[in-house]
Amino acid sequence: MLTPLVAFISGLSLGIVIWWSQRLHFHRQLTDVLNALPITAVGNYASLISNLRRGVRLSSQRQFDLESQLQTWQQLIQVAPLGFLLVDSENQLLACNTYAQHLLHIQNWGFGRPRLMLEVIRSYELDQLIEQTRRSYQPQEQEWLFYPTLADPDAAGRPAALTLHGYTWPLNDGRVAIFLENRQPVIELSRSRDQWMVDLAHELKTPLTSIQLVAEALHSRLDPPLQVWVSRLLQEVTRLITLVQNWLDLSQMSAQPPTPLATQQLDLPALIRAAWQTLEPQARQKHIALAYVGPETLVTSGDEMRLYRAFLNLLDNALKYSPPEASIEVHITPTATDVHISVIDHGPGFPETDLPHVFERFYRGQTNDPMPLSRSNGSGLGLAIVEQIILAHRGMIRASNHPKTGGAWLQITLPGHLLPTPNPQTTPP
Amino acid sequence: MFPATPYSEASVFVRQMRRLEQDVLRMGALVENSCRLSHQALFEHNLVAAEAIAPLDKQIDQFYRRIELDCIQLITLQAPVAQDTRLLGAYMQLIRDLERIGDYAKNLADIAIKLFPHPPHPCMAQIEVMSLQTQTMLATSLVALVDLDAEVGRRIKQMDCAVDAGYAAVYDILAQTPLVCTNPSSAPSSHQTLEPFILLALAIRHLERMADHATNIGQRVAFIVTGQRG
Repeated sequence: MLTPLVAFISGLSLGIVIWWSQRLHFHRQLTDVLNALPITAVGNYASLISNLRRGVRLSSQRQFDLESQLQTWQQLIQVAPLGFLLVDSENQLLACNTYAQHLLHIQNWGFGRPRLMLEVIRSYELDQLIEQTRRSYQPQEQEWLFYPTLADPDAAGRPAALTLHGYTWPLNDGRVAIFLENRQPVIELSRSRDQWMVDLAHELKTPLTSIQLVAEALHSRLDPPLQVWVSRLLQEVTRLITLVQNWLDLSQMSAQPPTPLATQQLDLPALIRAAWQTLEPQARQKHIALAYVGPETLVTSGDEMRLYRAFLNLLDNALKYSPPEASIEVHITPTATDVHISVIDHGPGFPETDLPHVFERFYRGQTNDPMPLSRSNGSGLGLAIVEQIILAHRGMIRASNHPKTGGAWLQITLPGHLLPTPNPQTTPP
Repeated sequence: MFPATPYSEASVFVRQMRRLEQDVLRMGALVENSCRLSHQALFEHNLVAAEAIAPLDKQIDQFYRRIELDCIQLITLQAPVAQDTRLLGAYMQLIRDLERIGDYAKNLADIAIKLFPHPPHPCMAQIEVMSLQTQTMLATSLVALVDLDAEVGRRIKQMDCAVDAGYAAVYDILAQTPLVCTNPSSAPSSHQTLEPFILLALAIRHLERMADHATNIGQRVAFIVTGQRG
């Protein structure tokens, strides 16, 4: 009689135990799920299910917010006034905004299979920039000329090249982001500015020469009190003519393509001495001497007229900024591959902040002269001309202040292939 | 702007093919750069450009050897079928064409250096047009390769006719130049040599060959797509 009851009770209790343990297990799983949610919904809700419901609702809300934020950023990049590209580790183009498509003449972007960057933009320079960024894991930047592929192959015209400036940024998984800036307008603007200056200089030259001639004629016919005024006038006109001529020379030298050098054999120390002799009268006034250290003769090849001009400008500058009774040092050191030339003065030197700009046009150093513009006859083009001449000889020039004298220190390196092979038939001039 | 996610689960073979295609395009871009430099050297008297070609040519040769090796490995190890086989075979052929174009560009730069001291010949303008046409053909053939567009590939053949016509025209001008300078103003002191004429004849010959190689590339693209020789 009792046996079925016992069996029932034990069966029931076993069932309860199993149910309870399963419920516990389920509860633990729910808690795990709740903890796995990005937002832990710590609510006062009694029921775990309500907590979970709240957590899911919050996290889907959060996801929606993030998605709309992402969309906003994507839209911003899409309309940014700067080209944007994104490539993955296999150099497939993942993103390309409107500006980049327009800039690089990319057509039908975004259809079909993902494409290689090089399929869409055939630029070896850009490809190398991306590789470099990925390898170094450092942001890089570079400027290069981009030649877009002609849309119409029948129109065999000159393709308009674009000067692009690329900035890259390495991302994880080997992805690289690239920002592209179109520098062409800036380049064209500076080119047109230079052209404008050349045109202006040409226009100024003829009337200035006429004024000079008229003033010279007047000068000989006037009596002393008035003559002084005309000699002042003559001086100023001469200064203006020199400025205009310097400007024209500089434009000619920095023109693209550059005018070829009239290369011949020359004795470098003799050339420098000749330049110094031209300046001797001014040097004698200030009791300044030239201290030369180097070989007596050094035959190299170069454009004699232009190198003479370069050393004349350098020595003239050194003379202008030297205090009286100082000396100007010139050192020539030939090495196996190069010739090093240093011009050092005892003047105040360049201000530290000016050092990067000394070779720019119209740069003018600080003088003790209270009226530098009217008194000193410098045009501000001297060092710019020197730089162009040295660059035309494939040399290098560097400006700094000499640690010992504190004055300006101009270091020139002329490449060794200028040194001729010994040739007994030609005699140095 | 942000298209479908790239196929990261792509098979090894597909990836290798992509890498190979990328190298071919890199090589193509380099050859294009060489051609531009040779153009600048010849027609803008830019000797710096002429000197910049030699290192480029070395890189082009490296790409050539590497791509050839990769192609052979892929063919033997992966046993590709149909269009992939044609693609690999065509790659091996067209990198040869690209490499030749690069060599001609280098030769043109050498010609530019030798031509530098001589006064420019009146037919330089015509040669410049030839050079621009050749560059356009090369660019078009690379576009055809990227898009696998057989139609564009075939169109290059028509463009080649223009370069051939230019070659014939300049050749006639050079060939008709009298050997003895009858102009009394040219004193015997002015050295009249044959060199500039030889150089110009070589230059147009090189340009004509470059255009032929570009045509070949276009035809190989047509072959990849259709499996038929045009």
